[in-house]
Amino acid sequence: MNRNDLFTRDKYVLLDGGMGTMLQARGLKLGARPELLSITEPEMLTGIHREYVQAGADIVYANTFGASAKKLEGSGYSVAQVISASLACARRAVQGTGALVALDVGPLGELLEPAGTLKFEDAYRCFQEIVIAGAQADVIVVETMTDLYEVKAAILAAKENSTLPVMVSMSFEQNGRSFTGCTVESFAATAVGLGADAVGINCSLGPVEILPLAQRLCQSVPKNFPVFVKPNAGLPRADGSGYDITPEMFRDAMAQYLPLGICMLGGCCGTTPQYIGYLAQITKGKAPQDTKPLQRSLLCTPVKTVDVCDVTVVGERINPTGKKRFQQALRERDMDYILAQAVDQESRGAQVLDVNVGLPDIDEPSLMEQTVKALQSVVDLPLQLDSSNPAALERGLRAYNGKPIVNSVNGEESVLRNILPLCKKYGAAVVGLTLDQSGIPPKAEGRFAIAKRITEAALAAGIPREDIYIDCLTLTASAQQEAVVETLKAIHMCKQQLGVRTVLGVSNISFGLPCRTYLNTAFFTLAMYEGLDLAIINPSSSEMMAARAAFRVLTNRDAKSMDYVNAYAGMTTVSTLQAAGAAAPAVQDAAKGSLGAAIEKGLKSEAKAAAAEMLKTMQPLEVVDGHLIPALDRVGEGFEAGKVFLPQLLQSAAAAQSAFEAVKDAIAAEGSASESKGKIVLATVKGDIHDIGKNIVKVILENYGFTVLDLGRDVPPEAVVQAVRESGAPLVGLSALMTTTVKSMEETIRALHESGLACKVMVGGAVLTPEYAEMIGADYYAKDAKRSADIAKKLFGVN
Amino acid sequence: MKILQPPLPKELDAAQALRYMGCTQKADPATEALLQKAEALLRPAAQPHAVWMECPVAELPLQNTGSDLARHLQGCENAVLLAVTLGSGTDRLLQRLSATELPAAVAADAAASTLIEQLCDEIERELRREYQARGLYITGRYSPGYGDCPLALQSVFAAYLDTGRKIGLTVGGSGLLLPRKSVTAILGISQKPVTGYRAGCAHCVLQKTCQYRKRGVSCEQE
Repeated sequence: MNRNDLFTRDKYVLLDGGMGTMLQARGLKLGARPELLSITEPEMLTGIHREYVQAGADIVYANTFGASAKKLEGSGYSVAQVISASLACARRAVQGTGALVALDVGPLGELLEPAGTLKFEDAYRCFQEIVIAGAQADVIVVETMTDLYEVKAAILAAKENSTLPVMVSMSFEQNGRSFTGCTVESFAATAVGLGADAVGINCSLGPVEILPLAQRLCQSVPKNFPVFVKPNAGLPRADGSGYDITPEMFRDAMAQYLPLGICMLGGCCGTTPQYIGYLAQITKGKAPQDTKPLQRSLLCTPVKTVDVCDVTVVGERINPTGKKRFQQALRERDMDYILAQAVDQESRGAQVLDVNVGLPDIDEPSLMEQTVKALQSVVDLPLQLDSSNPAALERGLRAYNGKPIVNSVNGEESVLRNILPLCKKYGAAVVGLTLDQSGIPPKAEGRFAIAKRITEAALAAGIPREDIYIDCLTLTASAQQEAVVETLKAIHMCKQQLGVRTVLGVSNISFGLPCRTYLNTAFFTLAMYEGLDLAIINPSSSEMMAARAAFRVLTNRDAKSMDYVNAYAGMTTVSTLQAAGAAAPAVQDAAKGSLGAAIEKGLKSEAKAAAAEMLKTMQPLEVVDGHLIPALDRVGEGFEAGKVFLPQLLQSAAAAQSAFEAVKDAIAAEGSASESKGKIVLATVKGDIHDIGKNIVKVILENYGFTVLDLGRDVPPEAVVQAVRESGAPLVGLSALMTTTVKSMEETIRALHESGLACKVMVGGAVLTPEYAEMIGADYYAKDAKRSADIAKKLFGVN
Repeated sequence: MKILQPPLPKELDAAQALRYMGCTQKADPATEALLQKAEALLRPAAQPHAVWMECPVAELPLQNTGSDLARHLQGCENAVLLAVTLGSGTDRLLQRLSATELPAAVAADAAASTLIEQLCDEIERELRREYQARGLYITGRYSPGYGDCPLALQSVFAAYLDTGRKIGLTVGGSGLLLPRKSVTAILGISQKPVTGYRAGCAHCVLQKTCQYRKRGVSCEQE
């Protein structure tokens, strides 16, 4: 078989069966590295491959599943040695048969960020090494993956370092999710988008259990996109003696896959040449059937897919335009502030989050990457990467785990040329604004003409129609009243004539007019009626969310009004006037209780309201030094005396933090910079991902007015050195929870000393003692968060 | 080899979780409510998985793993290797709470640590029952990191059990189990009644910093 004929669907392509099974039958010991047998027992390997070819396999997987630098560490062999020996074994077996040899690429065996410590870029480099070493193969197979991020690293490494076709399969549990929570649909949307040539499911389950998952996979890929399966020989037997399906049962179960449109079949753990022989029997002389795709417009993260078949809410608040506090957060790289915005929008019903981190004087590409990574560690929603800077978009797209949407291109030739290929390469959907170098056409027909041009360019770039979203642009009613209906008309035309999705930033309509909500909801409803799919709005506006809910009832999309009733049963609507009257006493109540009492009791919203009330008559500094800090001190003293426990200390800290937000808002509104009591760099050291302790210290230090540069967890020594050098922070706090990572702590302190920086270092963590801290060169040992604040206060001369 | 998807323990040992949260005396109602809230978030996020297998002790590379483990396995020719995890959903929840709601993160972390230990206890009880039915006895479970037994042994147990493929459990660079709320352990099997020896405080890495010892008790007593 020629490798170009792999995906032509003229005939079924048969894959081989289990390798580990065959090796164990030949005496491979548990815990041993099967890859080394390619060097020590090449004849045995070739023999196994040959048996599979004789049984009918068109592709044999070389014995390279675990041939990564990570897994071969300490084996005495290099990746290149093992791979070339393994490929040679397979090559000898297929000689003269027409069968092809696959470079088999398995998981690296370590969990990627954010759950693990392996960086995406490092995973990429591991796969790159494997792909380059495997250049002599006919096809690359990435298999048994459970982490979508690792899948992305592997596909990018394959595509950027080789011209071979790439097949990718993941393992799922019966609930349709991988161990890391990735769904079948997310896998399909992401892998196909990244340019995989075939996608599949292997291992973990038998053919009976995989069947419904394979059906979902076939429905989630484009028409007749190659899909393959390699199930185990059933499930493990209860007595531990192998798998529970005979070759004949396997044959019958596998026959069920043919109507789905599967075009490649094989076996995984427990299957032998006999199983593959039966696959040859059931597929003989047949051609694969057509798949029956659902052709949805999907956006996704590993754990969540959003099908944009109904009005979908894109949260607009991660955007610095016109927001001083947000701009300040971006300049300080205050990820917590951005995460808080994200989590709040998610809780209010946003289904996608727009992410705009562009400021004129900022390194937008690196900030985009940092923000995307921070967001996907905390929220499950798909992201809309919002920038006009191609470099920023590329960094964000590369770091993104799943299928995002890019906001945006427009009708300008150079923009289309620069950004559409990025969307194609990284498998993103795209927003096209109906404007070009001559501006926004006043009439619907003009905007439609641009939409048509964008759609054609996107299709030509290889982006499918269901991934194209046209923005017909909202103009403000106060300035261009006659243009409002043109936007609505253009939406209608795009939907009807181009068959694309539409998107609109809605709130701009009311700019400059009073009671903006009235106009926003009315316009939103009109736009939905004309066919708006993605609505970029502020999900905190209950009126906007209600307009959507009501629209879904009135257009019969919310069957039996179930969603509407769930959301609004038992609620009464109030007019603005009544609402204002009702809200007033609550504020007064809050002000009555003092800020100090609210903090001591750990009441977040009360503390914030009390601080806001005080700020009307007092200077920010007076509120902090006169009320906030003394309250914290009282709580801290109680903690030291054993009267207040950690959870209470934390609740108080959280209340103080929300009061601080009110203070920061007031300062940002004044336009002045927040006053800091001093800068402190904090990090959980390399190799360690326990960050709760570090986060506790951070909150307490911030409570006392210190500026904390939080480098996160698993932070390499050089990153700490760089942060101290750039910030000039006189104090560094390091945290480690494991005996094994105290070594990293010591290395970090040494690196700080060697770089000649004058900073002091305080350390903390469960396994440390004062003596141990001294031994590794730390200046201070902080037994808890309270103590770290005491150290900082002393060092910075703060009372 | 057996792969299990055991249910979570029905009742959280709240007293233990509160101790992990730093409450050395009776907790106030707000703290108890915090723990309940955290448990409610944790239960749907956790996906417990376990895998175990029996193998001859002599086939395991236990040469440089300290005297405590050797003492524990005295008289046992075979052993059960066990790995249990609460899954990656637990980690996602903890990470999210850690960034957004620290008090709840501390409570959820404590609840998860308690639940994984309870789950291990339940699996151990079930194993003991199974072996007793065959006329055999098993020791208590012993995990890498106890006493003078190195954490690095975790990688060996993980490789033997193929935990990455079987239950999604991996070992990171510093011997860190990921997902975080996971346990690997070994239990000796014997013809005679055995209990094994817990490592005790003498060789424990936390000997000098242990909060329990400062109060004059030990973690086993509590």
